[in-house]
Order: sequence, then C-alpha cells, then structure tokens
Amino acid sequence: MAGKGRTPFIVVVAAFLLGLTAACGNVASGGGPRAGAAPPPSSLRETGSTLLYPLMQAWAGAYHKQVPGMTISTAATGSSTGIADASAGTADIGTSDAYLSSGDLVKNPTLLNIPLVISAQVIVYNVPQLGGTHLNLNGQVLARIYQGTITSWNDPAIAKLNPQVRQLPPTAIVPLHRSDGSGDTFLFTSYLSTQDPPWNAAIGYGTSVAWPSLSGARAAKGNKNMVGTCAAVPGCIAYVGISYLGQATGDKLGYAALENAAGHSELPSGPAINASIASFVSSTPPNETISMVDGPAAGGYPIVNYEYAIVSTRQPDAARARAIKAFLSWVITKGNVPAFLTPVQFEPLPPAVVTLASEQIARIG
Amino acid sequence: MAGRSLTATTPAKLRLLGVVLVLLSLAWGALGGWTVSQHSSAASDVVHVEQPLTLAAQQMYESVSDADVTATTTFLSGPQPPLAPLQRYRADIAQAAADLARLKAAAQGDQPLTTALSDFSAGLPAYTSYVAQAQTEYALGYPLTGGSFMQVASEQAHVVLLPAARTIYTLQDAALRAASGQATSLPPLIAAAVLALITGFVLYRTQRWLARRTHRILNWGLLTASAALIISVGWLAITFSVARSDLVHGIGSGSSPAGTLAQASIDVQQIRGDAVLNLISRTGSTSFQQNFQSVRDQIGPGPGTLLTVAASSSSGRAANRIGAASADATAWYAANDQVYRLDLASAYADETKLVIGTGPGSSAAGFDQLESDIRGAIDDDLSTFQSSATAGANAFGPLEGVVIVAALLMAGGCALGVERRLREYQ
Repeated sequence: MAGKGRTPFIVVVAAFLLGLTAACGNVASGGGPRAGAAPPPSSLRETGSTLLYPLMQAWAGAYHKQVPGMTISTAATGSSTGIADASAGTADIGTSDAYLSSGDLVKNPTLLNIPLVISAQVIVYNVPQLGGTHLNLNGQVLARIYQGTITSWNDPAIAKLNPQVRQLPPTAIVPLHRSDGSGDTFLFTSYLSTQDPPWNAAIGYGTSVAWPSLSGARAAKGNKNMVGTCAAVPGCIAYVGISYLGQATGDKLGYAALENAAGHSELPSGPAINASIASFVSSTPPNETISMVDGPAAGGYPIVNYEYAIVSTRQPDAARARAIKAFLSWVITKGNVPAFLTPVQFEPLPPAVVTLASEQIARIG
Repeated sequence: MAGRSLTATTPAKLRLLGVVLVLLSLAWGALGGWTVSQHSSAASDVVHVEQPLTLAAQQMYESVSDADVTATTTFLSGPQPPLAPLQRYRADIAQAAADLARLKAAAQGDQPLTTALSDFSAGLPAYTSYVAQAQTEYALGYPLTGGSFMQVASEQAHVVLLPAARTIYTLQDAALRAASGQATSLPPLIAAAVLALITGFVLYRTQRWLARRTHRILNWGLLTASAALIISVGWLAITFSVARSDLVHGIGSGSSPAGTLAQASIDVQQIRGDAVLNLISRTGSTSFQQNFQSVRDQIGPGPGTLLTVAASSSSGRAANRIGAASADATAWYAANDQVYRLDLASAYADETKLVIGTGPGSSAAGFDQLESDIRGAIDDDLSTFQSSATAGANAFGPLEGVVIVAALLMAGGCALGVERRLREYQ
C-alpha cells in the first residue's frame, strides 16, 4: 500500500519539476522558443567571391535537390563583402579568395577560414596574332609590363622567354588591373612581389596596390568585367580567376604558362595545380591560413590558392549551426568531385586538407 | 535571585569584576594581536607576494607583445634578419616563460586565473613554432608562405596569448588591490580601539570603586594592567598610523600610478602591434586605424587619460618621465597617422619604411622612445612603492608580541589585584 501511495507523489514531483524547468526555459528566452530548440532554417545565405560564384551556384542547386528543405542563396559581392557579411552575421557563409587577415581575426576571433576547393589564377591576353600559342611569362616580365617598362608584345624580354614563337607582334601592351579591392589582386601582386624584388620594394602586394600610372592602362571591376574588357582591347593583358578561363578562351583570349620558383614554365593544368598544392599540404596549419604562391614544386603552377568559406563559430542557434555544418561538410566531400569542379577548372582538396577543414567545421556551434 | 546573589556582597562583586577584567584583557590581547597580525600579514603580502606577481603578469603581457612586434618587424626587414632583434625576440620569450612559471607556482585554485594560465601555457609553444616556421620558409626563399605563417603566429599572439595575459594581469591586479585594501582597512582597528576603551574604562571604574570601598588609593595589580593597556594601545596607535601612512603613500603614489602606466604601456604595444599587422595584412580594411584612434584617446595626454591620471599621482622623477612620455606620445601619434595615410594610398614601400625604419621620426623610433619613458616612469613609481610599502610592512615589528604580552600582564595584574582585596574579606 505504501508503495502504491508513494508512486503518484513522485510522479507529481517529477511533473512539477519538468514544468518548472520548461517555465524557466521560457522565461530565460523571453517567452519565445529557446535557442537550442529553434526550428531548422529553410535557407542559408552566401555572399562573397566572384571567382567561386559559378561553382557555388552549381553546389547550391545540387544541394537543394539532395536536401529539398534547404535553399542556398548565393551572391557574387566580392571577397571583402563576403568577409564583412560573415563577420556582421548578415550572411551565414562568406566566401573569399584570400584567407582572413590578422585584422579581421583580431577584430572578430570567432571567424574561421575553411578551404572549400583549390583555385588558381591565370594570365590572359588579347594577342590574336599568336593563335593558340601559350606564351611563357614570369613575375619579372609581368612586373615590368605593369610598371610600363615593357610596352610592346615583341619586347626582347618576352621574346627571350618564348624562343618557340618565331615572331612576336609589335602590338602595344595594355595592362588591365582590378579597380576594386580583391583577392585576385592580392594573389597576382603576391606573385610579382615574390619573383621581382624591385616590384616588392616599390609597390608590393595587397588587395589593392598603388598601380603605376600608365597612359594606356585600364581597370575593371570583377572577374567577368576583366575578361570582357580584355576581350575588347587589343594588346590587353589581365589576371583572372581560373573559373573564368572558359569565358576568356571563348572570347578568343590566350593564356600564359607561368614560371615557377624552380624556373619551369607551367600551364594552369590540373596536375600542375595539384603538384603545387601537394608541396604545402603537410605544413598547412590547423587554421589553414597559408599562402601557396610561388611554391617549391618543380612541376607546380605558381599562382594557386584555396577558396575559403568564412564562417563564425558562434551561430545564433543550434539548428542554423547544424545546417551550415551539413552544407559545408557536403561541399568538401560530395561537392568536391569532377562533376562540379571540372566545368570551372577548380581542383579538389587533398584528403589531409579535408580532414583539417572538417575539424574546423566541427567548431561551428 | 541568582543575578542578585552574584553582586549582593562586596566579595561577590569583586569576583565578578575580576572575571570581567581578566576576560576583557584576554579579549584585548586576542583582538589586538589578531588585528596586528592581519594587517602585518596583508602588508607583507602586498610587498612580497602580490606586487611581484602583478609585475610578473604585466611583464608577461609586455614580453609577448614585444616579441610579436619584434618578430614581425624583423620578418619585414628581410630573409637575413640582424642578430640584435632576434636576440630581443628570444629574450622576450624567455622572460614570458619565466614569468609564466612564477605565476603558475603562485596560483592557488582560482579558476579564472588557472584557466587563463593554462591557455597561455598551451599557446606559447604554438606561437614560437609558427614564428620558427615563418623564419624557415623565408630563409628557404618563400617569403609569402613565411608571411602567412608569421600572420598565423601573430593571430596566436593576439587571439590567444595577449587576451590570456590581459586576464591574468587583471586578476592579479585585483588581488593586489584586495591585499592593499586589507593592509590599510580601518574596521578591525576601530573594533580593537573600542575594546581598548571599554577595557580602560572598566579598569578605571574598578580602581575608583575599590579606592572608595577600601580607602586604599593604589592597587598595584590593576595599576600594572592599566599601564600595560596604555603602553600597548599607544604602541599600536603609533605603529598603525606610521604603517598605514607609508602603505597608503606607497600604493597611492607608487603602485597605483604604476598600474595606470602599465595599462598605458599595454595600449601603446597594441597600437604598435596593430600597425605592423596592418602592414602585413594589406586588406584595405580600416579597422586597425579606427582602433588606433580610440586607443590613443585612452592613453593621452589629455584630461582623464591614462598618462594624465598617472602624472597626477606620481611625483619627482616619475612625474618628469610621464611628462616626457606625453610629448613622445603626441609625436608618435603623428607618425602613426602618416602610416595609416600611406596604407590607405597603398603606398606599402613608404609605409614599411616608416613602420620598421629606425631613423628619427619613424614609428619604430617613436615607439621605442615612448616605451622607454613609460617603462622608466613605472620603475620610478615602483621604487616609490617598494620603499614606502616595505617601511610600512616593517613598521609592525614586534607589535603583535607586545600586545599579547601586555594582555597577559593585564590579565595577571587584574587577577592579582582583585585577589588581594578578596583575601582581606576572608
């Protein structure tokens, strides 16, 4: 009897405590749903890199098919805006061609830069007389072109690098650079700074630099406009992300083989890009901040980089954090396959980098 | 009835008075001795424990900050760095490790402190390994890869080490302030003084009552107790006023302005570190420039700023040094303004020269001069603190023993004095 009498009392106490706990939870969150119990989001917002944009669109469409309840909205706003949006929480994911700067990280230590895919930068030119010939160029020649000391395509310095070309045209060179601050400019000027000490001493590298003032020089905003402008200006030379190489070749632009640190000229092919990346895999730090421009691989293409997702470790609620983690995990695994990457000429992440990226993704909460 | 029987007769009254006087004497000894012990121990802690630990915490922050600034500026100077800055970097790391060991040895289960010490302890070797890798990559001919490792190292310093060091310093400074407050607090002293007054009053009334009852003017036992009370109270009052005055002077004119200057020094290091990081990052972001503007407003000079507050509390050489530091700061800010103007114009070569160059008017030279003057002022203030606080802590001398012996003499004197009168009634 006693046992029978005690059971209902325990149940009543337990029910009371459960009710109290639930009430406290509601009070703590101002009566609304608790942070941990928020419903899963139906969409995630990505802004940032114009270079990654075509691939991000493909990923977004494929992911929506696999996870019908989730829509990824994408916007080609440029890397700087992507970082700023992720930092401010106005985008769930920012994307950037460059890793976070110390300034970004010191100001917002919760930000992570997570590699999503391997990219490269190509040097394109509008010299129809060359047909399909790939010119060999190096950092010193490019630096002198952008400084205005090499002004025509038949300059002896270019001819010396290209003995296979019987006659270079006397066309004037029109250097084209980005008018906006960009990761592409950072990569290109980094290559020039590494290969050409005078460039490094006089101008250096950065998302924007003090370009020498040249009478014929042009500037354009974004990769798409860089290709379009170059295609419209005979003699033009420009730097664009590899995902725009298809557009560039479609517009009859040629692209160069670049000299690496070992002195070999390499085209931006998959094997050359992967060779370059391979030499950095073992030394990539846990936060995956690493510059891989002009690396030591003898057969490596010299301007390669990770395309990064910029994400905060502190999300507004657990459901959103889970959704971001699920999408990014999908991107670095099922999304890192030729079906997505080949059309835009990106390369997949090496397994060791996927492991580091997964560890970073796990920190999102 | 029981209450009345205790005081119904003169012997009963005498016995009660004797018991009360002995208890009051012993209570005086206990409270006076405890008060002296507490203040003496707190004063000793301030001088020998808390102040050195606070100094160690401050040094640890400065060492890491200086190491990072030195390592990054050395890196910017080229692949074959000069020996002097490398030695300075190594000395900074060694100093930080030594201070860390000292702080860890002294930490006693304070959770926020031990957590911050653990973070710092784990972060320091990671930081040095990234710096070493950056230097190796640069030496091998890969300056950009080296630069990215230097950036990772700087992030480790700014995101892990410096926040942990700042937490450690803040907690240690709070412990110093608490110990200083205990060493100069008045309530226990007031309680002891009140008890001494009550004891003295009861002794006086007892002697007057006995003199009227027994027609004997002098009771040697109670007289001895009274003398012991007067001597011990007088000794305690003089000692406390001397010790407190020394400690208050040491804290107010030494430790306190030194702490304010330490904060100024930390802020100066932050401005310098940010300028170097900004130069390496080259993102076009103005976040470091905005930080510079707000931090310089905290440092001063100007009303309510750190330098001005420290100057108002310091005297002599320290005050002169702070005056010089104020002039240094104004000139250095102008150099930093120019650094950020060049950065906005993407004039990295000129910016680099201004940030790492050592000539007159350069940011590096201005920083060294400002840091030197602030460091000198801190040393002068700490010297003031050390001499005053040590004198204050030493002033207590044998006081605790004196109070206890006096209390025992008082208890014995009271017991003997009352017992003699009681005997006359038997």
